[in-house]
This record gives sequence, structure tokens and C-alpha cells, in this order.
Amino acid sequence: MNKNKYLLMVSSIGVFILLAAAAVSENFLKDWHGIQNSAKTNEGPIDVRLRQIVNPNLKVTDRCVTCHVGMASGEQISTDLKVGAVHKPVVHNPTEIGCTVCHGGQGQATEKDDAHGNVHFWTEPMLPAKYAYASCGTCHTPLNVPNLPTLENARKTFERLDCYACHRLDGKGGTLRPGGNVTGMEGPDLSHIGLKGYNAEWYSAHLQRSQQETNGAWKTSFSEISEPDRAALKIFLDTQMGAPKLVEAKAQFNTLGCAGCHAVGNFGGDAGINLSLSGFKDPNQLNFTRVPGEHTLSNWIVQHFRSPASTVAGSQMPVLGLTDNQIDLLTLYTLSLRRRTLPDLYLPKDRVRAMRFGAREFANNGETIYTAVCSSCHGANGQGTRFPGLVANPSITNPDFLSLASDEFLIQTIRSGRPGRPMLPWGERENGFTLDEIRGLVAYIRQLGGNVQATPDTQPQIWAKGDTALGANLFTENCAGCHGKNGVGGDGPALGNKAFLTNVTDTFLVGTIGRGRQGTVMQGFANPSPIRKVLTQAEIESIIVYLRSLNAK
Amino acid sequence: MTTHPGEKKSRFDPDPMPRRDFLGLAALGSMMAAFLLSIFGMLKLPKAAVSASPAKKFNVSIPDTLPEGEAFIPPGRNVAVFRDAEGVFAISTVCTHLGCIVKASPAGFDCPCHGSGFTKDGTVRKGPAPKPLPWLKVSLSGSTVTVDEEKTVKAGTKV
Amino acid sequence: MQAENYSALHEFWTNLRAIPSHVYRAMFRGGPPKTDRTRSSFIFGNVFLHLHSVRTHLWSLRWSTTMGLGIVTTAAFLITLVTGILLMFYYKPYPDIAYQSIKDIHFIVPTGRFMRNIHRWAANVMVVAVILHMARAFYTASYRKPREFNWFIGWGLLVTTLGLSFTGYLLPWDQLAYWAITIGANIAQSPREITDAMGITQWMDIGGLQREILLGSDKVGEEALIRFYLLHVMILPLTLAMLMAVHFWRIRKDGGLAKPKDADERVAEEAKEFYPVFTDSPAKTYHLAAVVKGKTSAVDSGPEHTVPSMPHLFYAELGVLMLTTLICIGLAFISDAPLKELANPLVPENPAKAPWYFLGLQEIVSFSAFMGGIGIPMLCVIGLGLIPFLDREKEGTGEWFGGPGGWKLVKWSMVVGFASSILVEAFAIKFGWLREWFPDIPQLIITFVNPGTVLTAIYAAFSIWAVRKYNSTRAGALALFTCFLCGFIVLTVIGTYFRGPNWDFFWSPSDWGGH
Repeated sequence: MNKNKYLLMVSSIGVFILLAAAAVSENFLKDWHGIQNSAKTNEGPIDVRLRQIVNPNLKVTDRCVTCHVGMASGEQISTDLKVGAVHKPVVHNPTEIGCTVCHGGQGQATEKDDAHGNVHFWTEPMLPAKYAYASCGTCHTPLNVPNLPTLENARKTFERLDCYACHRLDGKGGTLRPGGNVTGMEGPDLSHIGLKGYNAEWYSAHLQRSQQETNGAWKTSFSEISEPDRAALKIFLDTQMGAPKLVEAKAQFNTLGCAGCHAVGNFGGDAGINLSLSGFKDPNQLNFTRVPGEHTLSNWIVQHFRSPASTVAGSQMPVLGLTDNQIDLLTLYTLSLRRRTLPDLYLPKDRVRAMRFGAREFANNGETIYTAVCSSCHGANGQGTRFPGLVANPSITNPDFLSLASDEFLIQTIRSGRPGRPMLPWGERENGFTLDEIRGLVAYIRQLGGNVQATPDTQPQIWAKGDTALGANLFTENCAGCHGKNGVGGDGPALGNKAFLTNVTDTFLVGTIGRGRQGTVMQGFANPSPIRKVLTQAEIESIIVYLRSLNAK
Repeated sequence: MTTHPGEKKSRFDPDPMPRRDFLGLAALGSMMAAFLLSIFGMLKLPKAAVSASPAKKFNVSIPDTLPEGEAFIPPGRNVAVFRDAEGVFAISTVCTHLGCIVKASPAGFDCPCHGSGFTKDGTVRKGPAPKPLPWLKVSLSGSTVTVDEEKTVKAGTKV
Repeated sequence: MQAENYSALHEFWTNLRAIPSHVYRAMFRGGPPKTDRTRSSFIFGNVFLHLHSVRTHLWSLRWSTTMGLGIVTTAAFLITLVTGILLMFYYKPYPDIAYQSIKDIHFIVPTGRFMRNIHRWAANVMVVAVILHMARAFYTASYRKPREFNWFIGWGLLVTTLGLSFTGYLLPWDQLAYWAITIGANIAQSPREITDAMGITQWMDIGGLQREILLGSDKVGEEALIRFYLLHVMILPLTLAMLMAVHFWRIRKDGGLAKPKDADERVAEEAKEFYPVFTDSPAKTYHLAAVVKGKTSAVDSGPEHTVPSMPHLFYAELGVLMLTTLICIGLAFISDAPLKELANPLVPENPAKAPWYFLGLQEIVSFSAFMGGIGIPMLCVIGLGLIPFLDREKEGTGEWFGGPGGWKLVKWSMVVGFASSILVEAFAIKFGWLREWFPDIPQLIITFVNPGTVLTAIYAAFSIWAVRKYNSTRAGALALFTCFLCGFIVLTVIGTYFRGPNWDFFWSPSDWGGH
């Protein structure tokens, strides 16, 4: 029965060899052993052991510092080892809040692929370095962000007025100011001034100080600042939160009218999906079958902006024709829409204001509201848009329109919208616009339209008289082609819409039907024309009476 | 009943084993080696590779109103931070006897467990504590005070 | 009186030096196992070894007799026991935290990942081995008198093993675990299918009660986790250990392993290698502990070829133990135990699959929850338990495929078993089942007429045919057992490899597509 002895011996030797191999690979062959073995401090080599950052409040256990050993608490690595380098100075102390809060990835892992999160079954891979600022959105919500041109202008104003001479901003300025040949001085760091808040009377204080001083930066770099420049500086300072790239991305979002269709947090349209957590999608749950490039969330978002319908089957989102830079900014913004449950201790002020007090994430002046919400449908200049497969959106800066539409009409239209049509009741929904915001918006629309004011109208709202049946016939013949049967709307606006009919005056309708809208397909029916029937005043009034009858139904 | 030729055997005959069994010994030996190695591996497991506690090095912001000579205990830490005319210093509040947390008292520190007492600079005043309370390394950068619980310094070092 | 030159101090010194040899002698009284007598006392003087009989029949030592499957199962159990206890150092049974602790075990616990892999693979080896061991016992007709009770215990061990494996499935608290257990718990609830159809659920909700007791709540949550943990580390291992002790004890009390009548003649050639081989007839006509009348089961069975268990049986046992360890460690070396995303009660896995050995049942469950989850398994379990009491024939005991029909019948049963299950499955996959043809059909009809019950009926019919043809219950049992085994294999393979999202049929997992 020697075969049993052979069985025992061979199996035992096999077990021994496998155990020995496992012991060697576990104790000597891990990547981090090699990295820590080659890391050195001024005082010599470091202990080769696992390191981690633990923060029970944030539920963080980050072992990233086992390889990125220079970032571990209390380590000072001086070596050319790139992976072990010291973290560059940042607002938040990485040894306190850990790595994954900002960078994503799998903090518990000790191997590269797992730790960077590019493995199956890890839902939150690391953010690409390019989009690193998106991580600020995990905790912060930048407030009062204007649109991109305004932000750019504000930034240029800050530069032009030589504020960098004394003030530091995101690591530039103060005594290190860029470019200038005049020596600066150390003023307060403005990098997070938007979060911290500042003295509203700063300008008069500066002016007083400048008048007292005889020479130095106070004299050379500061002088009186005009009213518009001060307004621009206020916009700029309010947005400074240490994440310039994220603010820029959000300004881009506020420029393209995205909020007209998409909600973020508690505000926005509902034609598109709610974007609130769209930076937190699990790449393993996304469909990459028609997405070129790597299988990461950021690439998916980029490709989605290039061609929405081919990335998400059945998507209604039109192809926006964005530039690469715009796509990058929007991708960064989308990635910043992420959340982590934070203990109260770590809740930043801006998030409290946004979540609990409903503070606006966009600047609430007319211009930003228009670019952030209205421009995607009504066009950057209010010229109206038309996306393939969707209803056309009317021009709202047409002089013919603005001269007939009273402020009251515009305000009421924005407030109540057009039920059943893409135009939402922007003033009457939850967290909708306040009356002041709508007034600012109307003023901006008139500004866009070349400051055309409405002709004063002394008539009552309803004065037209005529025959409903005749009006119905005329409407079917002349109007229904664009405005739809019974005015349900088609390419042209829905004239039978109750909210519209409740709000509109007969003067507006008579004027519009008679004179038309220059530059649009709507021609004046009272104008002489060789190819189409010319309507008399009585016929026009009959059509209006017919339209009014639709409201009664 | 089959028997080997020429022999008559019974189960009560205490027969010696046949010649030495090298194969069997080798088999048993290799099994023992595998066993020992596996036991060695298993013994490694209970000793945690890294302890699951927050970093021992932390920042403190001392309140401006803190009177000179009065202890400031950062929340959740076993450290007393002081500020006087000569500078800032930190003393561990972990009793050197059996690890209870000492309480600041007018006389210095008192341990609630076995009655050890320490003066304000950590020297043993009474009780079973074998060593004075250690002074911890403190470093300043701007207005931030950083305390490193893992590094002790000579008593009396103030920064 | 003490001797003149007695020095207590000297005596103390001598005793001190002799401590190691005295301790050794106190532990192993018989001396080195070099003679028959000391070999015997080595076994009956040792609490761990005395479950073995002092001498082992040469037939039992043949590799082909048992293929060592019982020892493989035992060894796998010991390995899971040791690694499981080690894993308990770091595992924390609480939702989410459990997942974190598995991640810790994977990444930072010294040897943790290896231990978890071994634990997982040993658990799978144990399930496979216990099923094969049962098949071995069945095909060699070893369940017959006087071993009926031990077959019964073995049946309990099978169920406990599956229970252990199933409860361990939830503990990592990942998506795989969460949804597999959700399905498992709903199978426990499936008697509702019957009570609903009869309209008595509100008075007698057996299914709901079973599910509630299993989960401790209305969904898989922290209560379920702690219950599964308790079952996995305490209740079931203790049950298993107890049943194992009885199982081993009964092997010896039932007269060793089952042997054919002519076993002694067939090992006579091998016996020449051994010294000494006893050929006396077992003659103990009383039971131990007192002189109680009654014969042990080996008495009257004629002269036997036995060799000392020490060392011959132990080499075999240790060899299989180390082979099993080698297999488990080797698999652990090659393949990591899976850990998917953290359990998310809002996002179901698609497909959500139970542990592999339940995928055959899940396949039937996809037609009828009650039949797949309770009905047919109960039928199998009860049928298995009753085999020894129904087949009380004598022919073929101890022989592979022994009994009327033999290998030829088993061969044909395999053909019937594989063909019928593949055909019925193919039919159901291709053409759908009753609900697709008659959308308004009552659930009760589907419960009783579905691929699972149809297959059961085919198997039953075939085995009745076998009983009549060979005029033997054993022949029927051979046919039925083989058919069920083949059906189990076919359904498990289909459930594992050919079912994808929404439990649709796919030729390969690569066709599953994106989510």
C-alpha cells in the first residue's frame, strides 16, 4: 500500500510549495513594498509598512498613502520617486480628510488597479486629473455663478485693476504677482473670499487708505474704480471658492441654457432628466456599446455631449454643436454633481445655503437668468431655435413682438408658461423665479431686442368683435397650417392655449396677425400679397373671436 | 483461513514491525513541514497590519480666550494643550500607570483610576504612576498648532 | 521509611529533567506503535482516533471502493472550519460594515485574502464532494441494512452542508450575496403559491412564516445578516460536527464499509504484501461496556482480510486530507473569491443568481416557485431518505452499480435523464410554457404542470418501467437516482451558463450586452 504514502508525500510537498509561494508573494512582492523600499527621507529609509488615513466622521479609510507615501501623515519623502511625492499645498489637509473624498477611487485597496477604482464592481473610479476640480462638488455648491462672458469680463476687470498687486488668488499675486514690474505687497488672500464673505464697504476703506498713503502699492496700484467695474469685481469675488475651474464650468452651464430643460438640485426644467447626481454614475451600469473610447464615466459624458442620441437610445437632447473646450467644461460640471453624506461638522456654508435656504446657484440678474435658463430654446440672442424633430421655439426679441407685448404680458407669460407646451410656468413652480427676477429678465430681453418698448395700449383686453364660425373657417384656411388644428400648436405657437388666451390682449393679436413678425415665417395678413389671401380688419377680428371661443371650451 | 507459508500467526503475537519505512517517514515529514508552515501563516493573521485609528498628528486651533496656564483639551484627543508667555506646549493626558485618562485639576492632573497625581508640568506628585506624563512634539506654522502624539519631547520644550 | 542516602532535592532535580519524557508517556501510554499491540493501543488510547476500528479490511483500503470522498468532505470541512475561524477575527456582521471588513480582509489582513479564497474554495469542494459521496454510497448500495440509519445521517449532513454554504453566501454583503439571498428567501416563501391558489393564505401562511423566521424582518437587512451569521458560524457547524461524529461512529458500529460477499477472495492477492493480515473470523458476540447479549454486525460474516488501521488506514486518510488541502489551496492561488459591488437594495442584479448548486432549482423556480423551491426538492429529499427502507434486497451490496440492471441500466438511465431534461428544457426555452399560450391560465395548473414536474413524471415512469423489467426495487432506485442526478446536472449547467438578464436564454455570457 505504498501508493497512499506517495499520495501523502506528493500532496504535502505540493501544499508546502504553494504555501511558500503565497508567503513570498504576500510579504515581499507587493507593489507597495518596492515603492516604500525605494523611498527615502532626509533621515534615511522609511519603515516598510501599510499606511492609511482614517477619518471616522467622513467614513474614510484611505490606504492610498501606502504607495503615495509622501502624502502620509508625518512623512517627508525626499526622493525622485514620483508616486511617493508630497501632496502640493491645498485648502483641505489631505492627512485629515483623506484622498478619496476629493479624488474618488477605492480607499481601502492597496493595489494600483483596485485603488484607482478602474476595476469591475467598484462604482466610483478616480476622477481624471483633468476633471479633478469636479470633486469640489462632492461637498461644495458654488453660488451666484454668472454666465461665462460675465465671469470672464469680471476676471479681466480684476486683472486690469491690478488687484494682484497685493492680493493672492489661487496661488498667484501678492508679492508673487504675475508680470508686473512694480513690487507688490501682501494683502489678504482672496482665494476663498466668496465662501468667507467680505466687508461690503471695502471700496471706501480702500479709497481712504489710498489717499492716506504717499507711495507704494497703495498709490501705484490703486485708484478710483468706476461703478460697472465695482459691479464686475463683486461678481468675481462672490464666486471665489478655491475652485476656479469648477466655477468656470458652472458659468459655462449657465451660458447654454441647460437649466431650461434640466434640473440641478431644486431648480430647473423637467424636459430633460434631473442632473442632480449625474456625476456619481456607476460606469459598470452605463451602456458603452455605441460609445467610442475608454469605458469611463467622463468619456461617456464627453461622448454624450458630442452626440446625445447615439449614446443614450431615445434621448431627446439635440446635438448642440459644442466646441471641445465647452464639452470639457460641461463634463467637469456634470462630474461635479456628486454627493456624499456629510456630518454636520463638515457641511460647508455654501451647501447649507443651497440645500437648506434655497440660495440660487446662478447669479439672479436678468442676463444670467436668460443665458442659464431661456437661451437653449429661445436662442442666445432671443432669435428662437428649431431642433430637428422638436417643435420650433419662437423668437422673443423680434421688434414686432416686443413693440406689441407689454411688460405685463411678458411677466405673466414667464410666470405661468404655456401648459402642455415646452414653456414651463417659471414663476409658479417650486423654487421658481421671484417677481424681481422676472422683471430683470424682461428688462434683459428688451435689451437683447434693441430696447424696443411696448406701444402703450389704452384698449380693454378684449374688444374684437366678429363671427366665430367665419373666424373658424378663416383660421383653418390661413393659420392652422402652422398653428395647428384648433390652435393646438405646430411649428407655430399654440394659439388655443388657455394661459396664452387669458393673458393676451386683442390689440396684440390684431397687430400680430395684421403686421406679422419680420424675419419669421409669420407674415402680416393685412399686408398686400400676390400669393396669399389678404385679410380685412373684420376678418382678423373674427379669427380673434374664434380664438377667444377656444378659451371658453 | 489463509496463512503465509510456514508461519502460524495470531492477533496476540506481538510481532516487531518490518524494516524501517523511509517512504512513510518522508511522507509524514513533508506533511509536518506543510502543517508547520500553514500554522505559521495562520499565526500571522490575528496581528493587524495597520491599526484603524485616525492619524496621531493633528492640528489644533487654541481659543483666543484661553487663560494662561489653563489646559485646552482638543475634542476627541487625549492631549492637553497650554499656552503661556514662553509659547505653546502639549502634555499627554494618558496616565503612565495603566492608561486611564487623567483630569486637569488645580494641582495639575489627577488620575481617577488608581489615584496617581501629576503636577502641571507632568511630574509625578503621588500614586503608582512610574513615569511623568510625556510632553508631545508641537510645531507651529502661522497660527496653526500641530501636535504629534507619536513623538515626545523633553519636558519644558515650548514653541 | 526512606532510604539512607535519599535526597529529596536530588529526586526533585531528576524529576525536573525527566518532565518531557514523563509528559510524553502520560499522553501516549502504549509506547511507539511498533507492534500489533501498541498499534492497537495507539488507536483506542486516543480520543480522536478511537472512532476508527483498530483493524481495517483491505477492501476498504482500495481506492476504487470509496474514492476517499468521505474523507475529502471531512477534510474540506476541517479546512473551512480553520479558515472560517480565522476570518472571524476580522469579519463584522453588520450591513455595509460587513462589506468593508471583507475589503479589509482582501487588502490588508495578513494572509487574509488567501484565507478567504481557501475558505470559499473548500466550501465548494465540500458541496461537490458531499454530493459525489452520496452518489458513491448509492451506487455501491451501501445504504442497505445495517447501514440505513447512517445513510439517513448522511442525508442530514448533505442538507446541513448546503445550508452552511448558503448562509455563508450572504455574509460579504455585496450585490451577489444580497440578491441571491433575496431570491432564496422568496423561495422559502413559495408555499404561498399553493395557499394563495387555495385561498387560505390569510389563515395559514406557511411560506410567509418561513421567510420571516429566516430573515427576521420583511426584507434582507441587518436582522437577516445576523441570523445568517449565527447559522453559519454556530448552529450549522455544531449540527454538522455532531452529525459527523454519529456518522463516523456508525460506520464502525455497522461493521465497517459495505463489502461484496466475495470481498475476501478478491483481496487475497493484495493481502500477500501485508504483514500481518488477520484472517480470523470476528467473534465478538457481546456489546461493550458490560456484557450485554447481542452480536455486532460483523459477527458471523466469516473470516476477513484485515490490516492494522495504524498506519495503513491513516496513510490513506492523511493522503486524501493533504490532497484536498492541495486542491483547495491551488484553486485559492489561481482564483480570488468574488466580491461585487456593495449591496444596493434599490438596484437589483440582473441576472440575480443563487449559489451554483441551487441554479438547477432556480431554473425550475422560473416556472413555478413552489415546485422548484419546495415541491420537487422535498420530493427528492424525502425519496433519498426513504431509499434504504424501500430497497431491502441483498444483491450487489458493496459493488459499483450493484444490483439488478447494473451498469447497463445506469447507462440507459443516463441517456434518458440527459435526453429528457435537455429536450424538455429546449422545448420550454423555444416555445415557452402554458402561460405564454393561455395567458389566463390559473396559477395552480402551472404549479402542477411545468417542466420540473414533467421531468419528474418522466423519471418516475422510467423507473417504474425498470422496476417491472428487472422485477427489483433496486433497479427502479438506480434508474430514478441516475435520472435525477442527470437532470440536476443539466439544469444546473443551463442555469449557470445559459441564463442571462431577465432569466432569458443566451448561448454565452458575452451575448448579455450592456445593462
